[in-house]
Amino acid sequence: MRITAQNKQKTRERIHRAARKLFQNKGFNETTTRHIAAEAHIATGTLFNYFPTKESLAMAIVSESLEQAKHEFHDRRNGSEALDELLFDQVAVSLRYLRPHRGYVGGVLDRTWSPLVAVPDSRDEPDLRVQHLQTVRELVSASLAGTEPPVITLHLYWTLFLGVIAYWADDESPHQEDTLVLLDQSMKLFANSLSEAADGTEEGINGTSRS
Amino acid sequence: MEPHVADLIDALPEETKHSEGAAGLTLAGLLKDLGKRRVPVGRFWRGRALGTLQAKIAAAYLAYWIRTSYKGVDEKQQRLNETHLKAAIELLGSMSYLRGAVMKFGQLIANYPYVAPQEFADVLGRLHFEAPPMHFSLLREFVRNELGADPEELFDGFEAKAFAAASLGQVHRARLKGAGEQVAIKIQYPSIRKTIHDDFANMRALLFPMRLSGDWDNLKLQFEEMCNMLELEADYENEAENLAMARNAFSDDEGIFVPKVHAEFSTGRVLTMDHVDGVHLAQFMATDPLQETRDQFGEKIVLAAARLWYRKNLLYADPHPGNYYFMPDGRLGLVDFGCCHRFTEDDIDFCNQIERAAHSSKEDLRKALIRAADMTPKQQKEPERLQLLEKLCEWLWEPNFHEGAFDFSDPDYFRRGLETFGEIMRRRYIRTLPVNIWLDRNFFGLRALLFRLRARVDLGGILRRESMDAQPVAGALVRGD
Repeated sequence: MRITAQNKQKTRERIHRAARKLFQNKGFNETTTRHIAAEAHIATGTLFNYFPTKESLAMAIVSESLEQAKHEFHDRRNGSEALDELLFDQVAVSLRYLRPHRGYVGGVLDRTWSPLVAVPDSRDEPDLRVQHLQTVRELVSASLAGTEPPVITLHLYWTLFLGVIAYWADDESPHQEDTLVLLDQSMKLFANSLSEAADGTEEGINGTSRS
Repeated sequence: MEPHVADLIDALPEETKHSEGAAGLTLAGLLKDLGKRRVPVGRFWRGRALGTLQAKIAAAYLAYWIRTSYKGVDEKQQRLNETHLKAAIELLGSMSYLRGAVMKFGQLIANYPYVAPQEFADVLGRLHFEAPPMHFSLLREFVRNELGADPEELFDGFEAKAFAAASLGQVHRARLKGAGEQVAIKIQYPSIRKTIHDDFANMRALLFPMRLSGDWDNLKLQFEEMCNMLELEADYENEAENLAMARNAFSDDEGIFVPKVHAEFSTGRVLTMDHVDGVHLAQFMATDPLQETRDQFGEKIVLAAARLWYRKNLLYADPHPGNYYFMPDGRLGLVDFGCCHRFTEDDIDFCNQIERAAHSSKEDLRKALIRAADMTPKQQKEPERLQLLEKLCEWLWEPNFHEGAFDFSDPDYFRRGLETFGEIMRRRYIRTLPVNIWLDRNFFGLRALLFRLRARVDLGGILRRESMDAQPVAGALVRGD
């Protein structure tokens, strides 16, 4: 029997729903692919046709939310924001969209986005890390009058960003507002360090980026 | 002798002075620039950078104060104190988010009278306009969390740029949807309450070296009251209640306007109220207003304070210029009811005792001052202590007893008060009832405001009139019950 694209999409959505429910109720670590398949009323083997690992399934869910966040972030920019505000907003909007998944997303991102994980464990999904850093590169470059930020700068940003995510995942303040403060201060720190470097050691930055 | 910045920095323990690389350099730069000048209270609070540097300077004030308090104690004790002090300063340096506590703390220690009257009055006037702004994206996320939607969805014409900033929040203009009524929305910095709480826990450690002082029992109470003051100020629901109480205290013909709170757009951390159309003191004075106009506004300022005091038992404890609007139609607009103290029965009893003493015998005044300064039996036998407090009372009461309008623009009057207060601080006469922290802010703030307004006001007359219909327990003073 031929499986239509429409049916494929329906199955995919069913798997997403089942996974979201189980991740939220049982936690990411306690949920197995077998559980998800049972919840979605499909065979475990069928599940692997769609997602090779539990992590890739989780990242697909996260990816959906982040895609929506990306649109909102781009839509509401008005061109007057400073770099620290843009960086703040990009992450703040993402965190808002990820809020329904907060109970488990910290663990997922830790496993898939950690700087120690060289290649994201996903075949089907776009590499969110690359996409996110590309946006950061563009924002930083625009604020430095077109100068490409050195690679090390993006690594530093990524570490800062993961720190914020880790904090957010366990933040018990109302609406995770402590994270907003941490994010604000982190992005100010990052943006200030860039502008200080640009003012004080312009040669250094340009030199690094040329090399 | 007046301390210079260099004296204050010298009071810091060595390790702190030279530690932390960049912060140390900044401190050195500050010294180079300002070391020869008088303590630049206004100048450094005007700076927008928050964090370590300000914390260190606040610590330097404390260090200076504490060190000079311990002149004469043996060397071993001195070393112990400094060890504690060092640890405490390290803690203070580690405070993460100092907008609330350190700025407010700065306001309290800014009462150090080492500045000229005009500078002192200016400092009181400016403090509330100096907080660095939240950018709109942070504000939007915060409002969304508090009110359930973005500010642009909730209001028409929400202005992304704040038109006023305060140490605990910032204020934006917008219009109510449909009605078009202009409102002011005060939005608190996220997590500020928790920060205040944490910062005060750290500051408690700063005061630790003073625990062996004979005044420790009283200092602890004052400290708790300062915490209480800041925590109340961070509670916008409390402020909304104060606003409602004040709003019905004035009739339309009295020319005093208190904005209405829009409860549907308010929470404990977002406060939406009527927008008050008008200018602040500096802009008002720039128009070179007539003496008569200045006097009329001065009378309203005093009437507002007296009315709230006597009829609502509410102390408008922070009468700095940022809280007053000079409206185009001649009305006085009052905003910011965060720093208000609701008198307890004990407070009222105390105020009445002091006020009665003003009209009574020297012995009654002595008893009242012993209570006011929470004096130990030993301190009660120190004549200079009582004499200085009497002098301060005489200064405070001078406008009350003056026949007719009192000219608050007299710099000599202002300076005499600062000198007396300075002498009290220099002698470390630091004991006081906690309620006096509120009262001092009110008394000094009000006089600073009227000084800058260069107003002539019949203070005694207004107080007598207002106290006639006072709440049963307040107002005995002026009536002479």
